[in-house]
This record gives sequence, structure tokens and C-alpha cells, in this order.
Amino acid sequence: MNKKRLQAKDFITIGIFTALLFVVEFACGMLGFLHPYIVASYVIMIPIVGSIPMMLFYTKIEKFGMLTIMSVLLAIIMFVMGMGYLGAPLIILAGIVADLIAKSGNYKSSKKTVISYGVFCLWICANYFPVIVTADSYRKDLLDGGYSAEYCDNLFRAINYKTIGVLLVLCFVFGCIGAFIGKAVVKKHFEKAGIV
Amino acid sequence: MTARLDPRTKLYMILVVSAVVMMSATTPFLWAVRILMTIVPIVLLITEKHYASAFRFLILYTSALVINFTCLSEQSEGFLMAFLVGYCSIIVQFMPAMITAWYVVRTTKIDEFVSAMQKMHFPDGITISLAVVMRFFPTIKEEYLAIRDAMKMRGIVLGEGNIARMVEFRMIPLLFSCVNIGDELSAAAITRGLGGKVKRTSVEILKLGIQDYLLITLFTSVLLIFVVFKYFR
Repeated sequence: MNKKRLQAKDFITIGIFTALLFVVEFACGMLGFLHPYIVASYVIMIPIVGSIPMMLFYTKIEKFGMLTIMSVLLAIIMFVMGMGYLGAPLIILAGIVADLIAKSGNYKSSKKTVISYGVFCLWICANYFPVIVTADSYRKDLLDGGYSAEYCDNLFRAINYKTIGVLLVLCFVFGCIGAFIGKAVVKKHFEKAGIV
Repeated sequence: MTARLDPRTKLYMILVVSAVVMMSATTPFLWAVRILMTIVPIVLLITEKHYASAFRFLILYTSALVINFTCLSEQSEGFLMAFLVGYCSIIVQFMPAMITAWYVVRTTKIDEFVSAMQKMHFPDGITISLAVVMRFFPTIKEEYLAIRDAMKMRGIVLGEGNIARMVEFRMIPLLFSCVNIGDELSAAAITRGLGGKVKRTSVEILKLGIQDYLLITLFTSVLLIFVVFKYFR
């Protein structure tokens, strides 16, 4: 049996943690319906809350490909939920890069894990892509439909070409902070219980 | 009518609906097509005897649609109005994808799904992981409800007003049970020969029937109408 290849057990682990991460994302996403500005604050909420399952996931990674497959699954789920295919390349790219970084630390180095999770968190920004890329036609559609300029302005003031850079950086920074929190939580609860 | 749809048709439906959801409807004709596209999965839910969820979706979608159209004709000013219209337009925009996804997850058996994916030559890794994701959402919900009951029994309400504890109290037990369930699941899957070198066979024999071809034609034409109107008008 080739040790390097992914086994059925690994695929099942990926599936479970993808589902958990998606539930976290969805729960935070529900808050975003309240106001456009909350949509922008996803970059803070999701990395921190999502870090707990993800850090547990990182302790189970031993082979290359698990993070990549997870990002592919996330891209598929995002597409099915109507977020479009525009973000998919970014999601998968973030997954592959995060995987490579973690691999260079042999999936054990804690410093590499933190950076890798920060990069992985960039997938959250992919959710904004439809709003940014199609901004002009999207805005025109909204205004033609008789929407108040106020709502449009709020949405596009929070998310546009200029702020996406800031959002990406924030995402990475809070991903790294979240990784530390997640590691602490995993250490507090799961290592004592002997699950890791 | 008891004819079941082929999982491949369902996946195709998801693909089309998700693509169409991205294109906004601007003319009455396009709105009609879009509404038709939403009605189909609701009707399918009824034929599969999921009356409650079909009814819920129908009410939610219709009310959002009505509010959306009545408010659009007026001058929508002010915070509350903008909020309401924004909320409803999000629902109207994304509801079709939600309904279709819900329908597919609820009515597709896992072995059907796996053999359909195998027939379409998807890599095993993606197929197995996706199947686990699909199977896991109801499990997470069940486990979460159990945790909530346990918390209620001990008199813990909302984590005593502390947001960090609110998240911690729910997340940690959930992770514990999910990891354990995952171990059991892999043991069960390996017993059934998942991950072996031999090509697996399936009890379910998939065949496209008349209803499949009808739906595929319908959804293809919906996609064509939207693409033509969007880019070649």
C-alpha cells in the first residue's frame, strides 16, 4: 500500500471538516443579510470562528492534497449556493498555496500552519468577487429596477476595487490571529481528551 | 407518478440554476422564465412527498416576490424601505439555487449519487468527500440539537452573555461528536470496500427516463434564453 496516496479515511475526514466549515460560514453569512457593512466584516468573523475546526483538521493532515480537495469542495458548494464561478479559481488557488506552505513544514511545523491557515482564509474573499467584477452592470441593474441609490451606495462603498486589497490583507491577518486562538482551543480541549 | 429522477439530471439542474441565478432578470419575459425555473423544483419536492418544505419555500418565495414588485413601483426611500427591498431581492435572487440544492440533497440517496458520479468519471476523492458532505449536514443538525437540549437541561442560556463562550460551548462538543462519527464512518466505509483497488459496482442501476430528458431539455432552454438575452440582445 502506498503511504503517500490519500486513503478513503482521509476523504471522509475532508468531507466532515468541509461540512463543519461550511456550517460556520453559513451561520456568519446569515448575519450579513442585516446590512451590507456586515458582509464586509466576514473577513474578521469567519477566520476566527472557523479556526477551531480548521486547527483540528490540520492536526489530521499528513499528506499533500487534503487542503486542495477541501478548497475544490468549497468552490463547488459556493457555486451551488449561487455565489457563481468567478470566485472558484481564487478558492482553489488559495487551497493549493496553503497546502504547499503546510507541506514545506511537513504538516507539523506550527509556524507554517499559522501562515498556511492565513492563506487558506483568502477563500472568503472569493464571495465578494461577483459584486466586484460585475460591479458596473450589477449596479445598473439595481438602479434600473428602481432601487434607492442609498442601498447601492452602501454596498459598493464597502466592497469595491479599492477595498478588496484591504479586505484580503485583513483576511490574512485575522486568519493568522485565528490560528493562534484555534490552536489554544484545540490544546485546551482536544489534546487533554486524547483525540488529537 | 412514482418515476424517480436520475441523479445526473438533478446535478444538471443545479448547474443550470446556479448559472442562471448569477444573471439578473430585467424584462418581464425573463422574470417569467425565472419564476418557472423556481416552480419546477418545488413541484418536484411535492411529487417526492416533501409537502412541508415545498409549502415553506413556496410561501417565502411568493411573499418575497410580491414585496419586491410592489415596492419597486414606488419610490423606495429611507432606511427601512431600502432594507426590506434589499432583503427581498436577495431572497428572490438566490432562492432558486437554495430550493434546488435542498431538493437534490433531500431526495438523492448516497449510493445513487456515488454511482452517478462514477459514471461521469469524477475522481474518487471528490466523489467520496462530496458524498460525506451531503450526508453530514443532517448529522450536524441533529448533534447540534442534542447539544442545545443538554445546555438547556443544565440551565445555560446563550453562554451567559459572553460571545466567546457562546461559540465555545457549542463548537467544542459538536467537534467531539463529529470526529467520533467520522471514525465510525470510515470504519463502516472500509468494511464495504471503499478505497479498494477494484472498481466498485452498485446495486442501483441508473438509466435516463423520459422525465429526465424532458427536464434536461427544459433547463437547457432556460439557460439558452438567459444567455441569449444577456449577451446577444
